Amino acid sequence: MTHDESSDSIEPDGGAISSPFEVVSEYEETRSERYRKLYDAYVYAPLSIILRDWRARIGLTIVLGFLALGIIGPLVVEPTRVTEGPALVGPFENWEYVLGTDAQGRDLFAQVVHSTDTILKMVTSGALFTVIIGTTIGSIAGYKSDTPIDTALSSITDVFINLPGFPLVMVLGLLLEDHILGNPYAVGVLLSIAAWGGLARAIRSQMLTLRQESFVEASQAMGLSTPTIVFKEILPHLMPYVVINLTSAGRRVIFEAVALYYLGILPFEKLNWGTMLQLAYQARAHARPGALHWFLVPMVAIVLISIGLTLLGQSLDRVFNPRVRARHEKTTADIDESGETDEEPTNEPMGGI
Amino acid sequence: MTVSESDHQRRPAHHDPILQIRNTSVTFDMDRGESRVLDDVELDIQRNEILGIVGESGSGKSMLASALLDAVVDPGVAYGDITYRPTDGEPVDVLDLDKQGLKELRWETISMVFQGAMSSFNPVRKIRTHFVETLDAHDYDIDEGMERAEGILEDLYLEPDRVLDSYPHELSGGMKQRALIALSLVLEPEVLVMDEPTAALDLLMQRSIISLIREIKAEYDLTIVFITHDLPLVADIADRIGVLYAFEFVELGPTDEILEDAAHPYTRLLLKSTPNLEAPIETMQPVEGSAPDPVNVPSGCSFHPRCPLADDQCRHEDPRAYEVNANHPVHCHHWSTAREEISMTDDYDVSSVLQSTAVDTRAQSEEIDPVVSLEDVEVHFETEQSFFDMFSDSDVVEAVNGVSVDIYEKDVVVLVGESGCGKTTLGKTAVGLQEPTGGSVQFRGHDIWDVQTGTDTGIEWGEIRRSLQIVHQDPGSALNPHRRVKTSLEAPLKRWNKDLDGNDRTQRVLSLLEHVGMTPPNDYIERYPHQLSGGEQQRVALIRAMLMNPDLIMADEPVSALDVSLRVEMMDLMIQLQDTFDTSYLFVSHDLSNARYIAEKTGGRIGVVYLGQLVEIGTPEQIIHNPQHPYTKALCWATPELGVEKNTEEAPIRTIDIPDPTDPPSGCRYHTRCPNAREICRTQSPESFDVPDETAHDAACFRVDDDHDYWTSKSITRAEETVFDD
Amino acid sequence: MIQNKHTFMLTLDWRIRRIGQALFTVWAVLTLSFVMVRMMPGNIMGALVTRMSRQGINPARARELIELRLTIDPDQPIPAAYVDYLTNTLQGNLGQSIYFTRPVTEIIAETLPWTLFVLSWAIFISFFLGIAIGALMAYWEGGKLDVGLTSYAVVIGSVPFYVLALLLLIFLAYRWNLFPSNGRQPTGIDPGFTVAYVSGIVYHAALPILSMLVASGMASLGMRGNSIRVLGEDYLRVARLRGLSDLTISTQYVARNAVLPMYTSLLIRIGAMFGGSVVLEQVFQYRGIGLVLLEATHQRDYPLMMGGFMVITVAVVIALLVADLTYGYVDPRARRTQ
Repeated sequence: MTHDESSDSIEPDGGAISSPFEVVSEYEETRSERYRKLYDAYVYAPLSIILRDWRARIGLTIVLGFLALGIIGPLVVEPTRVTEGPALVGPFENWEYVLGTDAQGRDLFAQVVHSTDTILKMVTSGALFTVIIGTTIGSIAGYKSDTPIDTALSSITDVFINLPGFPLVMVLGLLLEDHILGNPYAVGVLLSIAAWGGLARAIRSQMLTLRQESFVEASQAMGLSTPTIVFKEILPHLMPYVVINLTSAGRRVIFEAVALYYLGILPFEKLNWGTMLQLAYQARAHARPGALHWFLVPMVAIVLISIGLTLLGQSLDRVFNPRVRARHEKTTADIDESGETDEEPTNEPMGGI
Repeated sequence: MTVSESDHQRRPAHHDPILQIRNTSVTFDMDRGESRVLDDVELDIQRNEILGIVGESGSGKSMLASALLDAVVDPGVAYGDITYRPTDGEPVDVLDLDKQGLKELRWETISMVFQGAMSSFNPVRKIRTHFVETLDAHDYDIDEGMERAEGILEDLYLEPDRVLDSYPHELSGGMKQRALIALSLVLEPEVLVMDEPTAALDLLMQRSIISLIREIKAEYDLTIVFITHDLPLVADIADRIGVLYAFEFVELGPTDEILEDAAHPYTRLLLKSTPNLEAPIETMQPVEGSAPDPVNVPSGCSFHPRCPLADDQCRHEDPRAYEVNANHPVHCHHWSTAREEISMTDDYDVSSVLQSTAVDTRAQSEEIDPVVSLEDVEVHFETEQSFFDMFSDSDVVEAVNGVSVDIYEKDVVVLVGESGCGKTTLGKTAVGLQEPTGGSVQFRGHDIWDVQTGTDTGIEWGEIRRSLQIVHQDPGSALNPHRRVKTSLEAPLKRWNKDLDGNDRTQRVLSLLEHVGMTPPNDYIERYPHQLSGGEQQRVALIRAMLMNPDLIMADEPVSALDVSLRVEMMDLMIQLQDTFDTSYLFVSHDLSNARYIAEKTGGRIGVVYLGQLVEIGTPEQIIHNPQHPYTKALCWATPELGVEKNTEEAPIRTIDIPDPTDPPSGCRYHTRCPNAREICRTQSPESFDVPDETAHDAACFRVDDDHDYWTSKSITRAEETVFDD
Repeated sequence: MIQNKHTFMLTLDWRIRRIGQALFTVWAVLTLSFVMVRMMPGNIMGALVTRMSRQGINPARARELIELRLTIDPDQPIPAAYVDYLTNTLQGNLGQSIYFTRPVTEIIAETLPWTLFVLSWAIFISFFLGIAIGALMAYWEGGKLDVGLTSYAVVIGSVPFYVLALLLLIFLAYRWNLFPSNGRQPTGIDPGFTVAYVSGIVYHAALPILSMLVASGMASLGMRGNSIRVLGEDYLRVARLRGLSDLTISTQYVARNAVLPMYTSLLIRIGAMFGGSVVLEQVFQYRGIGLVLLEATHQRDYPLMMGGFMVITVAVVIALLVADLTYGYVDPRARRTQ
């Protein structure tokens, strides 16, 4: 580096401006100042964005509610057993069995509570697996496009896009019975084994576009390393998309897991929403009057968490939009007061170059 | 005609306005208040004139265009009086029409060409369908209308059948633009409003379309309103020019008067800030400051914050229309003194010191080794490449073909050419961002791709990477929108100055920001790119490159995304930074005026690129006043001038459209468009010849060599007599 | 430049490539099946041998039976077995069902059309429903109808189709007796192109089809977004200025361009729907390929399972292939850029 040489040749420019490379450490940032900025950027701004959007508020409430149910619930609520109460008590009739009981007198509320943690574990592992594999393969293929690496990864992706996931999981579920029994994380991964293809293809094509962006080329010109470019420069652009896919993958895992347990294909140790449906169907609850709640309780749980995930996913992408962030950060918010608004295109109709 | 309400009734009757605009405003309701994007405008448009309307982006010019058809987009509202006066029949109030009335007015009487021809056609329907459905919607006879459409397309030098049977994406930008003009004329309107119809096009295409506009105006008996940000562009064709600033007209007058003797300080400053080929570069000065926000227009004269003549009166009193003469109103309290205060030729020193020293520098630099040396560089792209491609041949685009050029210390080379000619690829190859498929790129004597693969260990790859930098065309995408100014600018320091701690880095960034005039820098470093103006973004991108302390910066159209009045300022800043940091520049530009400004001010050279080949290189003086290659001549012809005398000479090209780069012409690649092409040009590709006028001037054309076989070869242009033939 | 020559070449090139990719996928799935049957730990073959010997079939006979049923010879070396297996499968020999003791192909040929019948109607109806709702939402963007329909779409999109199926079964079939609760064709009517028989089929398929309509929720949200984007395009503004009728603008301009991006996603949904047919057919006891696959799973009828899996895969591969190959007819831009 030869900055000192270059500063020698600087001509006084109007007098007032000092040499651009004259390093005087008069700029001191205190530790607390730095922490304040970090807090502002990573805690305050995202929270304030989320809390200002009704969709996010509802979604977050629901998802947090289920988390509480899954984590705290089992500690508070006793697991239920056969003939704990009378058979087929309707919901809200007996406060001991708030949501009623099934045909064998088991408390439905306790069943819901004690299956929530299993479901959440599957969701977590399945959604993370889908997104991590999809994003990794997609971004590598996209960044290395037109190389044999891309060709190989894209061909694999194409195969997985074409695989019908559900029948494959049925077959694999049978073969791997021993490995997934009592291991919800493994079930989540198994359910996602053929689900990452679409995401990988989409990420790849976005990567192809982003790779052409000038700022990526500028980073390459600056000699920044490839991991730095991919993870620090490009990945933030994919985050809104990744987050949406994370929540929709979670939803898919719930749907498919419940379906597989309902069909009685996956082995289980303790009851969950799917097995509740299965037991209800086998007991012909659909044909019996007074047994409707046996179906409804798990159904409501499934639909509710799914709505929560959908709403959260739809609104979380705003957290990654720098325009929205800037408005919510204290550090930069004042600049925006004068310039930008939420509805940005007001300047656009004016046109002109 | 007038811009003021006080005297429009007094205008004598020999004026024959086809459109009268009175007290017309356009407003938008926004969160932060009402935004007035056209403010109480008065204007008469005369029958059969070409009226040029000039304004910077966000000056309200597109709003005016939309208001003429009562087509302001929601949630904007236009109000006031716009009266259309037919030759026979009652005047019509445009803004008062019902749905049916509007349908009859739009396209049938007043038609419009938008700036976005690329997106003005429905992508899933053929061009022909667009014509048919338009005729059908207005109950015109379709056969007759299509015959007319074909006629218009032919007048615009297009092959009617081929164009009509294409989908929009199958046409080049210039073809689409001409097809759009034809579409706007198919219902035989009286008035044609053109909103930046050439903004997205290349110089030659732009120029050709401007010439065509003159022809179609005569042929189809039109009144044309031509809206643009580019003053020189309309100077040639407009009868009158109106200048918009901050949503109102500041001046309106006959073209000659506006160009020669403008009365408003803004017009005068704008003229001075516009680079062109003829005026001495020392007279080109930037307009300080930037245009106001529509919500917050300054009180009094809206130009006063940027005006050197502003006094208390300007700050408080909105200037009425003063009359320079009966045909030339101007909104300035000081219009009579403006012409002396803002001289068009002041501080112009004929014996330009800078120029002579600059030439010296270059002459010396010939002696020493070049920083970057390109030898016979080739870059060929294959358009399709994947696993199953073994079934077919892929198309090869020869983006760069056999280019050799040396760039020295503190040297400046400007590459000029049409879009798609490979100038950007060539530039990126020179700074090691694109690997050539043939030839070599050397940095201080080392082949940079040998260094990269490790075959040449004389120099570190990192050293090369640090020394060759790039500044992009679009400052908006050159900065990562997710990263603050501080993070973006500290990245190169983190990578290359590991000895600096966080505070030192920030300090360096702060002082550079201050150096380029972004004060207070503490305020700027925490911002995201979208919180900066275009000019500020470009400054940040520029200092990011400078922080690497590079030896050569490739600047890809660095000013073309900026407003006209800001371009000179940005180019001056770049020249000043070059001095400070001792670097060399490789500029890429499609605009010969900008190229000339940079090259002349730094004593650099201009290289002209056509279809991947460097066809001529020399000093700006040589390129502009003694062009040797016919293509350079065409570029000079196509560059709009601010002069009063009309540029009416015949176009020095035979076809408007550039050949398909995947299938370039044989021999001399320019022979398909060259007015001097002969048989030999079809088969033989000319080498670069030294032009005998001075040193450092080469052109790749047989005509430079007096003894060449070319002179005995048969001309191929006689057979195809037509100019502008596809 | 008009590049007719290149347009043609690229199209041809791209189609061949796409077909090659589909064949590659089929091959990959065949290989995967082979691996699952023959080579995976705790593999199918071993399980079958154990089961048969428990039933008192001597090992040699068991191995013969297995070869007949799975078309994989347990005693052959892996490469030879693999080649045999590929040849058999490509000739349409998918083995024999253990449980039904009939050729797998026969069972599938008998059930697949029913599944296709339900799925194709479900896909078409939900697609058009989604488009219509999405267009309505976009037209009244920000209005009450938009907010209402958007909430509806979010909720309906969060309901798994089998939940809706169960609810329909409970109410429409059992409580109110409006539809049959199971089966796929009317009893007591001879199959044939008679009004009674055909309407009976439709009657039986109604609830399964209706259940799949939850897919329209997400489709309508997609359509809404696309339409709003198209409404902001320059060509739409120009079309309005040209005085085109509202009908032309809404159908040929907005709808046409907004539907384009949905075409691919529609056909991608086919894969998911095939998977869903297993649950759907179980709920309604509708005897299609899904139900057969489920029975095979419960009975550990491996030849039938693998055969069903293979056929569903091939169906999905073909659907996606058709989607990609025909996309050029829907969007002229794709003819060159793909």
